[in-house]
Amino acid sequence: MKSAWEQLNKRIEKQEILTHQMIEKSTQRQYHSKLKKIGTSEYIGTLICYIGAAYLIVNFTKIEQILMQIFGIISIALLLILPIISLQSIRAMKKVNIVSKTYLETINTFAKQKIKFQKLQKLNVALGMFLMLIAIPVLSAIQGKDVSQIPHFWSVIFPFFVLFFLGFAYWVLRAYNRALNEAEKMLN
Amino acid sequence: MDIKQHFTKVIKENEGLIFKITTLYTNSIQDRKDLYQEILYQLWKSFTSFNEQSKLSTWMYRVSLNTAIYHLKQTKRRINTIPIDLETQLFSDDRDKEEEERIKLLYQQIQLLNLLEKGIIILYLDGKSHEEIASIVGISISNVGTRISRIKVKLRTLIIKNQ
Repeated sequence: MKSAWEQLNKRIEKQEILTHQMIEKSTQRQYHSKLKKIGTSEYIGTLICYIGAAYLIVNFTKIEQILMQIFGIISIALLLILPIISLQSIRAMKKVNIVSKTYLETINTFAKQKIKFQKLQKLNVALGMFLMLIAIPVLSAIQGKDVSQIPHFWSVIFPFFVLFFLGFAYWVLRAYNRALNEAEKMLN
Repeated sequence: MDIKQHFTKVIKENEGLIFKITTLYTNSIQDRKDLYQEILYQLWKSFTSFNEQSKLSTWMYRVSLNTAIYHLKQTKRRINTIPIDLETQLFSDDRDKEEEERIKLLYQQIQLLNLLEKGIIILYLDGKSHEEIASIVGISISNVGTRISRIKVKLRTLIIKNQ
């Protein structure tokens, strides 16, 4: 094992691995650390949610039924809160202290952050599904339509959407559970 | 020598260390390049605060290994990375094939270890003392010895199984 490693070391010594250009880039602030970066998709998601919330707020007066108004308020609250939960959980993951922690501390912190993140994401998905369900009648109410007047709404369209969302939620949550299991394994 | 020149010198002298860590903690060439750059950035960022020459390798290993862990989440990769082929540039045609196979096999088996085991065995194979390993990893010196013995047995079993 040691001899194979030493042979590898000898081969590496003969290679010009790191270019001066790469070192220059790191020292001249041309490089932006990816560890602290929040992805464009997260910002786009947040923007979409806030546009949706703004639309509901602007058109809120058009909703007449009390039940739909309650659904509307819940929808606005969810559209405002969901991106905050998401961004906060990502930010928590980005609080990295690479230098002062030992390797074992870093593994433990990383795994715990990942577990917390996955749990929050699961909560986010569940709330997102709920939001999509209650947003349908609210949007209909804004457009002056009563959902019960849409043919087959309660008998076909609504159950179809429920089934679709449940299937989608199952698929998404399964992926999060897998990631969660992997993170938990790191702590063993 | 200004600080940048000093940094470049230190990095060039220890580039093998970064190469090994980036190869063992990633599963694609692009990923490896990204991790390279990230480690260089993190090393540069903390270079000014680092001033004890005697602990240079401890600092480099710690920053590189810790960066590698946090880099795991950057793309949709698995926590236990899958074995990959090493850079073909390391194994040109005129080299010893048997030696090449031995190195690849060792690399592949190390990649199958969990993160803690992987870190410890890299340090051990790089000739670090138990004290230094304990300081970088954050476990007791006696625990280092115990863990190294267990990892060796595990690696041996894995290598025999794959031969």
